[in-house]
Amino acid sequence: MKRPDWFLVALWTILVIAAALWVAPFVFILLTSLKTEAEIYATTVFALPAHPAWSNYAQAWGRGNFAATFLNSVIITCIKVPLGLLLSAMAAYALAQMRIPGRNTVFLAILFGTMIPFQVLLAPLFSLVNSLGLINTYVGVILPYIAFGVPYQVFVLRGFFRHVPKEMTEAALLDGANHLTIFWRIFLPLSLPALAALVILDFVATWNEFAMALVILQDSGRWTLPLGLMSFQGQFASAYGQLNAAIVMTVLPAAIVYLIFQRYFIGGLTAGAVKE
Amino acid sequence: MATVALRDLRKSYANHEAIKGVTLDVEDREFVVFVGPSGCGKSTLLRMIAGLEEISAGDLLIDGKRVNDVGPAQRELAMVFQSYALYPHMTVADNMGFALKLAGVKTEERNAKVAEAARILQLEPYLQRKPGQLSGGQRQRVAIGRSIVRNPKVFLFDEPLSNLDAALRGQMRIELARLHEQLNATMIYVTHDQVEAMTMADKIVVLQAGVVEQIGSPLELYHHPRNVFVAGFMGSPRMNLLPATVTGADTNGVAISGPGGISVIVPVEPGSLRAGTKVTFGIRPEHLTVDPNGTLNGRAMIAERLGGLTLLHVELQDGTLLVVQTDGADATRLHEPVRLSISAPHAHVFGPDGLSAEHLRRNPLTV
Repeated sequence: MKRPDWFLVALWTILVIAAALWVAPFVFILLTSLKTEAEIYATTVFALPAHPAWSNYAQAWGRGNFAATFLNSVIITCIKVPLGLLLSAMAAYALAQMRIPGRNTVFLAILFGTMIPFQVLLAPLFSLVNSLGLINTYVGVILPYIAFGVPYQVFVLRGFFRHVPKEMTEAALLDGANHLTIFWRIFLPLSLPALAALVILDFVATWNEFAMALVILQDSGRWTLPLGLMSFQGQFASAYGQLNAAIVMTVLPAAIVYLIFQRYFIGGLTAGAVKE
Repeated sequence: MATVALRDLRKSYANHEAIKGVTLDVEDREFVVFVGPSGCGKSTLLRMIAGLEEISAGDLLIDGKRVNDVGPAQRELAMVFQSYALYPHMTVADNMGFALKLAGVKTEERNAKVAEAARILQLEPYLQRKPGQLSGGQRQRVAIGRSIVRNPKVFLFDEPLSNLDAALRGQMRIELARLHEQLNATMIYVTHDQVEAMTMADKIVVLQAGVVEQIGSPLELYHHPRNVFVAGFMGSPRMNLLPATVTGADTNGVAISGPGGISVIVPVEPGSLRAGTKVTFGIRPEHLTVDPNGTLNGRAMIAERLGGLTLLHVELQDGTLLVVQTDGADATRLHEPVRLSISAPHAHVFGPDGLSAEHLRRNPLTV
């Protein structure tokens, strides 16, 4: 019989424990969201609910005004993510493939944006958005989101685009393509794995963003899900079942997007590691 | 089809000049090969013609029109790259039809042209595959097909066979030569491999350090190299080049005395060569023969037996090494005395400036 590889056994054990620790809070939230108040106090946290209390979801949805906050989150995320990614991709293409004087300086300036913690910029950001008259508007929050997303995305995509052989661009130029065509017909299809990875990261980050939304969206009618959740928590802190149902509803869309794109995500992280 | 003319073409970078004034005429339907060692500027020159590198000075004319400031696509050239540069996410058919699609050619016409190119290149079974599913040779054929469908004025090839293995390279060489016949196209081809240059070219341009060393037909370069560099670069195995001294010069030629007892009268124009001038004596391995009555004494140190022919590395009495090409059936034993004779009419004399002394009689194939 083959001797077990103790290193692998140890590695797997650690992985399983880590995964269990990681997933425990989710399980806890999910189970609690399906229990009645009485059941929550009567059973241990990981006990299964006797009869799933779906009503928690319906009640939380109504009491927390989730219909409005959910819609706000959807609008903001669905505009911000594609628009920001498109801008970043175009900038990354120009920085990676076009001969522009001073392009490295421009890139460094963009990269510099990632080095400033955005909390530092919250106050100036507020006065800027305020002076533009965009407080309490979707645009007022989408523009800063894009601005803060661009540096990181440009960094990743520029690295990806630089590894596309120069001859491919040149062949396309000789084929009669202009830069827009090359970007659209060749670079975007080639970088789908990287784009998918960025879609996930950006979607989750935008969906869950709290601080900037809190500062800029002051009217509760414009609140996004995390703000709605905070408000709900303030009002119904003791209604554990409904609170956890609210948390699940907030987190679920991001989790679904992650599950849809995760195979591209993993592909994206390893793309280019092995020559095709 | 088209002519290409280069007029004192130059390319300068911040701190050096890569192309130092190249003047060249490529005739209609001619197959011209740029050849030279790595870094000689041959690829840069090709890329300047393609429009991928800016021209620093001089004029580039295609069909008599100056195109220095015309974009790559508008020059109506097609280029085949060493790395193939196929679009990996497109099928073979889409790769070949991409230029036509961008030009707004209708689907039917496009498909017909792609099918025609695929037929010429025997790519029909692979039209719906992606480049990743093809072998190196097939990919290179797709890259060639991509240029054929555009019906360009001039085909440009940048070391297209370098990534292929030796057998495939030989096969593709024949295919390219056939394609040139079939398409009746003007072609400019860059390679560092002088065998490719010799076998395919109508005209060879030998480049070194951004300067044209010689332009001529393959046999002209072989029989009448203009200088030591071309003599050493063209021909395989390489020409033997030895330091020598002129002992006499008259209308019959130049008498040479070289190392290892070499003494020969080479039938070349003496020009400025006088007794005592230091020169370089050149003799190709195939113009040395093992001959019991030969004047040179030495020993064969190494024999490279290639089957059809044998290359003997002979050490003369003073230690000078000569490469001699003999028959495949040559029975010369190693480390035993051997005598060599020199075919004087085929020998070369290069003056102190490196330039070749003109032969009194040119090779009949190069006249």
